[in-house]
Amino acid sequence: MSPDLERTPRNLLVSERSSFLDQKNRISSQLDQLHFNYKVCVLLPECSSAPSHLDSALNTFSSFYLIRKLPLYELLDTHFLETVRHGGVSGLSYRTRLDEDNCVALMPNGRLSLSLDKDSFELLGVEGKPSRFNHRTKSRFVVCVDLTDSSMAPGGRGYQRLVTGLTSRLPLKTDFLMSLPAGGGASVQALLSRYDWSEHRPEVSSCSLTDLLCPAPLTSDPPAPLTSDPHRLLEWLGAVHAAVSCENSSSSFLSSLVCPEPNKKLSHALRVSVCGLLSHQDVQKLIQEIRVYLSVSPPGSASWASVTLHGFVDSPVSWGGEEHGVLRGGDNFLSLMMFPDQSYLLHLATGAHDTCPP
Amino acid sequence: MSVFMDLNVNYTADKSQLQSLIETAAHLGFSTVAINYVFEPTVKKKQEIPAPTAISELMDPLPVVQGRSRPIRVLNRLTIVMSDASHFRPTAVEYRRFDLLAVQPTTEKLFHAACMIYDVDIICISVTEKLPFFFKRAPVNGAIERGLVFEVSYSAAIRDSTRRRYTIANAVCLMETCKGKVRPLPVPPLDLRGPYDITNLGLLFGLSDGEAKEAVSSTCRSVVLHAETRKTASGIIYTVKSCSDSPPADCKSRLHPVSQSSGWLMVNE
Repeated sequence: MSPDLERTPRNLLVSERSSFLDQKNRISSQLDQLHFNYKVCVLLPECSSAPSHLDSALNTFSSFYLIRKLPLYELLDTHFLETVRHGGVSGLSYRTRLDEDNCVALMPNGRLSLSLDKDSFELLGVEGKPSRFNHRTKSRFVVCVDLTDSSMAPGGRGYQRLVTGLTSRLPLKTDFLMSLPAGGGASVQALLSRYDWSEHRPEVSSCSLTDLLCPAPLTSDPPAPLTSDPHRLLEWLGAVHAAVSCENSSSSFLSSLVCPEPNKKLSHALRVSVCGLLSHQDVQKLIQEIRVYLSVSPPGSASWASVTLHGFVDSPVSWGGEEHGVLRGGDNFLSLMMFPDQSYLLHLATGAHDTCPP
Repeated sequence: MSVFMDLNVNYTADKSQLQSLIETAAHLGFSTVAINYVFEPTVKKKQEIPAPTAISELMDPLPVVQGRSRPIRVLNRLTIVMSDASHFRPTAVEYRRFDLLAVQPTTEKLFHAACMIYDVDIICISVTEKLPFFFKRAPVNGAIERGLVFEVSYSAAIRDSTRRRYTIANAVCLMETCKGKVRPLPVPPLDLRGPYDITNLGLLFGLSDGEAKEAVSSTCRSVVLHAETRKTASGIIYTVKSCSDSPPADCKSRLHPVSQSSGWLMVNE
């Protein structure tokens, strides 16, 4: 038995081609289904600096909070639950690894998902089910609670059981990232005042690239359909965003990645990334601004733009609130290639331990 | 999955080198390491089993694991390289000072004894040379049923191409014999590698993705728990009522020693 070394880790890639002008396009709902966004990367060809409206969209992403050593029973605090019931509050445990530790996610629709190891789950004593991604032994369990449900109202049986579990049986404390709807800061001041917290703005970094090799069909006018394998296109895009050389020179063994053929050299391009706990509204707004930028650009300059949205690797949930896992990697990302005629090419990708993207 | 563990960090007398190894392990993402004291008894002269250094003397405070907020956990482990049955003394008091116990058998008879009888946690398989014996399914299955695990070291595979061939060949042979039931602990004596790198190396040994990852996490956890049980639980006393109306004094109790440590479990029928 010789191991099949050419077999790469299993991944799922869904590709879709549509147009923003098509009534039936699902782009909005698809974007909304990736709940926890860590990074958005934008690549603009033939552009050395972002135009002002785009720049302001990039720099006005909403801030988020980092609360250190938050005991989880605080998420069931009566006042906090009121805020959760209004919707829009999302949170994720920070510096917890999905395949090693206990991870927590609070989705904007009020669902709380706890991904626990065996010992923690048995201690907590709340109903849950084994993870879909257990290998042979059941070593990971998932507890899903709908905080907006009537049984989770303060005083309800489900609520009492969970609060008792989190206070006396399994007093979990974790660093917690939280994103609130606009104007929601005041309602959680009481919670924040009890712990060490800090407010952060998503970090923006931009880089102007020169002499960038890019697949030729993208640069033709109108852009020709891409015949190359989507995996190779995404590999090239990933290499550009990760600043990995695509020259495949004989003197370097670090990277043998190349730009898909046929390719063309761009004189300059702009690469921008925003990192943090990003909200859907900000991402949708950014995409809108890029659409406007493409439509008003003179022909022959910007013939395409790419936006890649990365989900958190250690989030217990990914597409549509379904369970997410980490085997050798926990990628879940979305890559949107936009064109001036308002058409787009969308790629939704996940790793081995994940459900199929929508 | 559980936390990543490296249960074979070779002990060196050089304290600063050991400290830097533990720091490297914490930096790579291992949450637990075990310092391995290798003891190779020879017939010629009587040797003392080394006494483990207390962890608090070794390093205080322990470094925090990268990406998490807890410090690394350090255990002590004893590996006995056996060329004779007398080398393993089950009643030795010195073994109790170690958290984990491992044997490295060098003959087929000792391998069989280690799998079926010896009260240990890990059986080390040396894969850098051609083994003098073949793996038989019966002792391997016996070992698995008892909760033992097999350990395959990969450090030589990293350094030397000839040894790499032997390592992969022997490891694959072990997997084939046991039809994937064996869950090895690939761990390096000296050169530490990250847990995901070890997972990838496990693929070369014929493990699947899930098995390779388990080898660095869940399997290690079960070994540590097995060791804790071995050290604490030593016997079962169960009482049987001889007849329903007679007073309690007539109840018989039976003593079943499992191993000669302290502590007994009471079970009533």
